Amino acid sequence: MAAQAAATTFNGNLKKALAGLRRIDLEGLRWRVFDAKGQVLGRLASQISTVIQGKDKPIYAPNRDDGDMCIVINAKDVCVTGRKLTDKVYYWHTGYIGHLKERTLKDQMAKDPTEVIRKAVLRMLPRNKLRDDRDRKLRIFADSEHPFGDRPLEPYVMPPRNVREMRPRARRAMIRAQKKAEEQEQGGSQRKGRKKEAKTEVAT
Amino acid sequence: MTRIKRRRRTKISLFASSFRGAHSRLTRTITQQRIRALVSAHRDRDRKKRDFRRLWITRINAVIRGMGVSYSYSRLINNLYKKQLLLNRKILAQIAISNKNCLYMISNEIIK
Repeated sequence: MAAQAAATTFNGNLKKALAGLRRIDLEGLRWRVFDAKGQVLGRLASQISTVIQGKDKPIYAPNRDDGDMCIVINAKDVCVTGRKLTDKVYYWHTGYIGHLKERTLKDQMAKDPTEVIRKAVLRMLPRNKLRDDRDRKLRIFADSEHPFGDRPLEPYVMPPRNVREMRPRARRAMIRAQKKAEEQEQGGSQRKGRKKEAKTEVAT
Repeated sequence: MTRIKRRRRTKISLFASSFRGAHSRLTRTITQQRIRALVSAHRDRDRKKRDFRRLWITRINAVIRGMGVSYSYSRLINNLYKKQLLLNRKILAQIAISNKNCLYMISNEIIK
């Protein structure tokens, strides 16, 4: 515990990060670290869910939970393709009639970026009695600090992915946007007096 | 008269002697639960074969995916059949548990 107290450079969420750690029985488990920076949300969640279920071990058994502990860092840097940042909506119903609530990905990332990955992984796990225990094994952190530095951690290397080639229309749009950005930069450097509003990309 | 009933029912209650609660104490419930138990056993004898084959396949898949990029159980089985290697899934799963490298060696031999 002393080592953990020393490693709390990040505040407050220590309770949530260490919550329920005592309930997890076996400590023959490995601690795998996933870096979510620049990863696509669903593909990352798919890999996490296989590791959490223990499906990469030869001693897998469906009636007991044998997955490794997964730590996800840099959760706020996870990417999505297409227009999902504004168009992906999370719905939930509170139970009262007419109270279907919704929230877009953008707002959710502003509010709590760890929930995005947690929901993605949780919805990929099989809906059985082990689901809550598996949820307890998943620890997600928005930035790259975590209080588990004193454990033997193993970074998880994502399998290589063949990214699909861009469709011609999307590619032309991207080239147009790039050219516009270049022109604006050049125009801004030539005329220093004028204030030009440069378009900046929203950082995900 | 009662002797015959009692003899029949004690035989049946011997079967259900390890059941929980009223299922091992009340005679009518005992006969019903015995029937259900035997039905489950009959049905599950066939299911057992299916379930274990699923488990072996999952285990083999888990180990084989660690071998390389985009190598999977399906490709392994395809190669096995092409080389006419008669190892079944049970043995492959046992090899996967006890000695992973052996399985990797086998699969490397088969790929060629």
